[in-house]
Amino acid sequence: MKDIATANFDKMTTAEFEEYLPELFENGGGSISKDPRFSTFFKANPDCAALVRDLETIAEQAKSLFEPGAGTEPSDAVWSNIASKLKDEPPTKQN
Amino acid sequence: MQTKPNPGFFKRNAPIAGEAEAIENAKNGDPDAFAKLYALHKRRVYTLCLRMLGNVSEAEDMTQEAFLHLFRKLGSFRGESAFSTWLHRLTVNLVLMHLRKKGLQLVSLEETINPSEEDAPKRDFGSRDTMLTGSVDRVTLERAVALLPPGYRMVFVLHDVEGFEHNEIATMLECSTGNSKSQLHKARLKLRELLRQSQALQPLDSASEPISEKGPAGQKVIA
Repeated sequence: MKDIATANFDKMTTAEFEEYLPELFENGGGSISKDPRFSTFFKANPDCAALVRDLETIAEQAKSLFEPGAGTEPSDAVWSNIASKLKDEPPTKQN
Repeated sequence: MQTKPNPGFFKRNAPIAGEAEAIENAKNGDPDAFAKLYALHKRRVYTLCLRMLGNVSEAEDMTQEAFLHLFRKLGSFRGESAFSTWLHRLTVNLVLMHLRKKGLQLVSLEETINPSEEDAPKRDFGSRDTMLTGSVDRVTLERAVALLPPGYRMVFVLHDVEGFEHNEIATMLECSTGNSKSQLHKARLKLRELLRQSQALQPLDSASEPISEKGPAGQKVIA
């Protein structure tokens, strides 16, 4: 991973910028596209700006997947099996 | 010093009505309370298993195992983290153990590190013509996630969907934190590629049609 603190983003190539991207996403709070440190670079490299916005969209939209979609659930047989096995197994109390 | 908020933390810690009481009662052996915990968490646990395994039958088996394990371990839950976080971590560890038993090296982590040329994201920025912003719905994204190579999918699901931190993922997958960050980035790049391909293939009048009904290994895609 490259050191972001010493990087000069105004004079960076797109390949160099991509090397910083994983760390930027980790530390940038999900809004690299709006970070003023990169505005000059994004103006000069609009494809890079588009890439960053796309990756931000994907990361943001991924959060919506946490809640399962409608109709996504295990079959009733899963609970039947669990309930059947639990009958033979007393709970383990740990205090 | 300001702490960086972790969006996953809030997602995974949302309080569920009746959960705390059900946990306490289930700890004391109340079968109805355990049934309630199952009802509250079955869909999330099953979805997590399905995303990690890509196979309905295995996902159901692991859901069953996760809740049986929960039953045995519930007494050790002390509320230091949210119950759902604790349960999901327990589930992830069980699924990983299952995959290791099957002989898969950390869900093809090797494949993740050195994916085939076909699976790796292409090293170009693409054009702006097919920018995704504002056009990715959850169904489309879910289907694209199912098409990811297994190792990429694992890191993406654990980090971006489940909200685990890279250090937690590194511990679970027995890899470095840097590796987890790097694989996540590659997973997102690959997803962008898949989503752009799907957009390019879709005629305007069928924008809601799925990418495909089945994933690369013939697994059911979650809708």
